[in-house]
Amino acid sequence: MKIALVSTFVPFIYGGARNIVEWLQVLLEQEGHQVERIYLPERDAPDLLFQQMAAFRWIDLSSADRVICFRPQAHVIQHPHKILWFIHHIRAFYDLWDTRYRGFPDDEKHRALRSTLREVDTAALREAKHVFTNSKVVSQRLAHYNGVESEVLYPPVFQPERFVCTGYNDEIVCICRVEHHKRQHLLLEAMALTKTSVRLRLCGSSTDPDYRVALERRIDDLGLRNKVTLECRWIDEEEKAAYFGACLAAAYLPVDEDSYGYPSVEASHASKAIISTSDSGGVLELVQDGVNGFISEPTPQALAECMDRLYTDKALAMTMGANALARLKEMQISWSHVLQRLLA
Amino acid sequence: MKVLIVNNMAPFVWGGAEELAENLRKNLVLAGHDSEVLRIPFQWEPAAVIPSQMMMVRALELFNVDKVIALKFPAFYIRHPDKTLWLLHQYRQAYDLFDAGQTNLPPGSEGDDLRSLIRNADNEAFAESTRIFTNSEVTRGRLNHYNGFEATVLLPPVNDPGMFPGGPSDDYIFAGGRINGMKRQHLLLDAMAHASASVRLVIAGPPDAPADAAQLRAAVERLGLTDRVKLDIRFLPRETYAEYVNHAAAVAYLPFDEDSLGYVAMEAATAAKALITTTDSGGILGLVKEGETGWVAEPDAKSLAEAMNAVYTDKARTQKLGEQARERWDSFGISWPKTVETLLS
Repeated sequence: MKIALVSTFVPFIYGGARNIVEWLQVLLEQEGHQVERIYLPERDAPDLLFQQMAAFRWIDLSSADRVICFRPQAHVIQHPHKILWFIHHIRAFYDLWDTRYRGFPDDEKHRALRSTLREVDTAALREAKHVFTNSKVVSQRLAHYNGVESEVLYPPVFQPERFVCTGYNDEIVCICRVEHHKRQHLLLEAMALTKTSVRLRLCGSSTDPDYRVALERRIDDLGLRNKVTLECRWIDEEEKAAYFGACLAAAYLPVDEDSYGYPSVEASHASKAIISTSDSGGVLELVQDGVNGFISEPTPQALAECMDRLYTDKALAMTMGANALARLKEMQISWSHVLQRLLA
Repeated sequence: MKVLIVNNMAPFVWGGAEELAENLRKNLVLAGHDSEVLRIPFQWEPAAVIPSQMMMVRALELFNVDKVIALKFPAFYIRHPDKTLWLLHQYRQAYDLFDAGQTNLPPGSEGDDLRSLIRNADNEAFAESTRIFTNSEVTRGRLNHYNGFEATVLLPPVNDPGMFPGGPSDDYIFAGGRINGMKRQHLLLDAMAHASASVRLVIAGPPDAPADAAQLRAAVERLGLTDRVKLDIRFLPRETYAEYVNHAAAVAYLPFDEDSLGYVAMEAATAAKALITTTDSGGILGLVKEGETGWVAEPDAKSLAEAMNAVYTDKARTQKLGEQARERWDSFGISWPKTVETLLS
């Protein structure tokens, strides 16, 4: 089949929404499909939105048998067999309207833009043969704001077979970007309250040097040098697989994210329990408290207790790890499921 | 510097311009820049959609980009304060192909309106560009003739010169590249019928249409050339193509009146192979000089047969002509590092 994958992008910004497109392309090509990847530039500035949507509307992809659209506003593309894998709205006009992230005034003009954008989105969503989302949260927003039904199709990680359990050491690992909203600082505070010899490894690249310095200082202040390893750098895929493979459990506690986050899926593939927090958003779709990890209160004390418990009771860590792997199957987080649904 | 290359695409079709854009990207990265290719889908049929396709490009918004290098119509309509054009071609059906009676634009006032729309929009895009380069003298001449803009010719380098080191001859004349009537592989077969029995020929490449392949196969049969001509008609892996070039005694390329030198000729010269072409082949004549870098035959079977015979009568001379072809090509000074430097200047 000739399949066009259409998404929007910001030139020279990699990762994120590009991963899902490019990983899917590899899988589709392995299946023998002819794939064309189309990235269109998009700026989310309110005054520029509609001209860009007009441009997208003029794009002719009739040579494709079907198109799969990802990042907004790729979904306004016209095609008789349009499938959406909807990742998010332009959130400032939706769920972030009443927050400080809106970035423009709540005035007559912007309210008019909002209502027109929502109409356009709804019409474009309705044109699709099928609408998939990457999480329940996004599906709920589509239902709430656009009145459109959708199916959750969880994005798998690339080559998940790389992640295997090689044992259970004494370390909780947290591998993701080192940024304030990923809350590595909260894990440090928790470590200071642990009563066992449990260790913590924080790693990932950072765009926020201040945060990094603050973490380093806090490790010293709390006297955690011999319990905590902080690696602020890009962790390559092999290192990541090795850390998840050998660890006791994983921690991932972002502030209210839409999706479950790749780190928690990678840890699950390596049969590791996941420590998260009740305010982490999409992670809660994956992690069930006491089953494949812990949903802790976002406090140092509660987190410290989870860490100590996994350290003291390794059998529990192993059982939860096995459950984490089983949970992936239960949620159908696999490329075979993704391909089957997208090509149905 | 963050350099965005902007090109068109016909979805699911990959051709020479895509290859050029990708190699430009690689070489910008080698020169220490960030580079990506933006490929904008473009549909020109029916002609009535052309205005919306032009508007589409104009309506796109870029940011996080320091410089744009745009290659084609309508990709060069993209708005950016620092836009350099490396013009591969304009919408020829509104210009020289229109004049030649080969256009998809409708007749009468509707077609006239489309042509003036395209010309006016082109002029605006050219005027707002920082610099304009073209890929050939012909493209430069057309731009000047139809739009009145000056440009500098910047010939595209061989994409992967490292693949063409040359090598010992396996005693065949090679004719590579796309197979179609304009490239006149059939003329080589006619010449083979007149050439001496020692001459061998390999024709290899993708046919534009199944009929192009069938025609060559039939000619080989009809002329009784099956033991002296090898047809390898398909899209060749790059390695296979390079292998054919590197082990040829000489390379023949005789398109009818082409704009540019042609990759086939540039790659052959890179591999130090003597070239055979014809007096009416166009751009390649800049590289092939009779008795210096190869043979320039009349476009007829007998004259070509003489050139083909000559490849075998004095093999040492053939090799020397090949060396001189490489020297001549090298003297043009066309390399990726220099091309990148010029485009960013």
